[in-house]
Amino acid sequence: MNIIKVKDIFIKELSIEYRQKFALGGIFLFAATVVFLIFKSFNNINPREWTILIWIIMLFAGLNAVVKSFLQEKKETYLYYYTLFDPIDMIVAKLAYNFIFLCSLFAIILIFMGLFSGFPVKDWTLFFSGSALGILGISIVFTFVSVISASENGNSTLMSILALPLVLPILLLLLKISAVSVRLLTDTAIMEDVWLLMGVDCILLGAMILLFPALWRL
Amino acid sequence: MKGIWWKILGVLIFIYVLVGGLTVPLKSGITSTDPGNALSGEHLALKIHGYNSHFYSAKKNRAWLKLDSIHALRALNFEVSSENDAVLHFDLPSYFPGKVKAQPLTLILDNEVDGVFVQPNAVFVSVTDTVHSDTIIPSGIWKSADLGHFHEAKSLHFPYRNILNETIRNTFFHVALWFAMFVLLIVGLYHAIKYLMTGDFDHDIQSASFNRIAIMYGVFGIITGSIWAKYTWNTFWTTDVKLNMTAVAMLIYLAYLVLRGSSSDHDRRAKMSASYSIFAFLALIPLVFVIPRLTDSLHPGNGGNPALGGEDLDNTLRLFFYPSIIALILLGTWMASLLIRYQRLKEKIFMSNQ
Amino acid sequence: MKNKSTIIKYINIVILQLTFISMATAAGSTEDFLRSTGKIYSVVAVILVIFIGIVIFLFRLDNKLTKLENQIKNEQ
Repeated sequence: MNIIKVKDIFIKELSIEYRQKFALGGIFLFAATVVFLIFKSFNNINPREWTILIWIIMLFAGLNAVVKSFLQEKKETYLYYYTLFDPIDMIVAKLAYNFIFLCSLFAIILIFMGLFSGFPVKDWTLFFSGSALGILGISIVFTFVSVISASENGNSTLMSILALPLVLPILLLLLKISAVSVRLLTDTAIMEDVWLLMGVDCILLGAMILLFPALWRL
Repeated sequence: MKGIWWKILGVLIFIYVLVGGLTVPLKSGITSTDPGNALSGEHLALKIHGYNSHFYSAKKNRAWLKLDSIHALRALNFEVSSENDAVLHFDLPSYFPGKVKAQPLTLILDNEVDGVFVQPNAVFVSVTDTVHSDTIIPSGIWKSADLGHFHEAKSLHFPYRNILNETIRNTFFHVALWFAMFVLLIVGLYHAIKYLMTGDFDHDIQSASFNRIAIMYGVFGIITGSIWAKYTWNTFWTTDVKLNMTAVAMLIYLAYLVLRGSSSDHDRRAKMSASYSIFAFLALIPLVFVIPRLTDSLHPGNGGNPALGGEDLDNTLRLFFYPSIIALILLGTWMASLLIRYQRLKEKIFMSNQ
Repeated sequence: MKNKSTIIKYINIVILQLTFISMATAAGSTEDFLRSTGKIYSVVAVILVIFIGIVIFLFRLDNKLTKLENQIKNEQ
């Protein structure tokens, strides 16, 4: 793995994203609209609904965001990339980009939710460490699945069919962690769930790095 | 794939499991006792209704009410009205050890045909005269504390569990299905890895076929499980973690089937589905083994215990449970091999057309 | 084609049976029957599900093979 190459691909991704401002704006607009809709329909939102809604918005906004990350480029440009990059550099850069993108998306959703319907989180370290690990897991799954669906001519239906069941276990863990962090339920063994989340991330990351070289020249 | 012996073996073992698993009787048990409450110092006539018991044919019926390891009370009289019904007469002492106001008593029955069987918390005795545990209980009240020699049941039998009753036999079919599913998934995984390493298209066919049969077993597992749940937990679907996690696992593998159906290009489909199945299997491990362990569940073997230890699976159950897994694996392999042969033929025709 | 229609008929019968069983398990009156003699009939239901499942698998494979046979016949 070459760090400089990874950085180059990362910057390339970022500049492509920046050039397509409408797509970027579309996703943030989606998040803002949904948050506003929720604010208008639930007048008084309780912490339980708050945690569930935040992850559901995150799930669908993230799915939309990642679908295009592998689909925004033509198949022919990939032929060019084959000659330039190592597959592992490529996937690590994509993953890092998706992770940071999803994190900023999450931050924006949190800010909107905070503005409109309050911020009930009590245990900040637990909430943010759990969320970071969870978003890492989500971005690994989404990146991997977007590679598969990109080779299938950018089939975004396939992407959601494959991605949604795979992120379910991560989301279930995340819901539990965030429910504890807003003190909805007390669980002394919650750190076990955080470690479990980290273990899942590691397994999925390893699998993706091992499998990507076989997949990307399709 | 040569030879037919393992197919015959699979069928024979399955027949053995079907016949044995359905004909071996359950051990005797007590389904109900009446009354459920009594007062200390009174005469208690306890009506019991047994299951699979032989009160009438047995000569030496004995019964005790047991409080703890040293305090037990022998029945004065064992009135048998039929094979499954009897009335037991006890003289409850007025002195009970301990300060507790309501004492749960365990009913123990023993005869030479059925062996010994137990109903925990059969009677709750409201104690009117409590004695401090440090004072010595007058001798002569709990005089038959020594239970003496128990009989062994004469024939082979499965354990009796109160709510499970005969459905304990479902262990051979429902639980064994999950084990067989995992073995078939591992075979599918092996072929997926093999395909990615060698690029031999035949491995893709094998991997897909084994996965398909495993998914079929998984669907059977969910249906049979919800039937079993209906008659033990009284609902088709519960919020039980193990159940919901396996449902998620099945969704992941159904997505695999969708993926296989989506692509028309053979090589691309093979690579995609092989990588996805490896990824899915790895995502499955925490789902099925780790998360349910961390949470309490209605299923046995949760909350830290190993799944198949001690109480849940006794030796007579093992006698049919392990063969059942083997039989289901062999039958699954047979079905998978039919699919493999079909796919190979199709491939050959496809190639010859081009 | 005659073969195919009979197979579809069989499959329909199997599906009908399945719906009948699921209805029977859901209905209140048969509940007592399935719970009688120590709930033994729920074990029977479980075995039936496995058996019917395998039969459906066989019918589908049969159907596929018939198609393949027809394909070979047409080519010759």
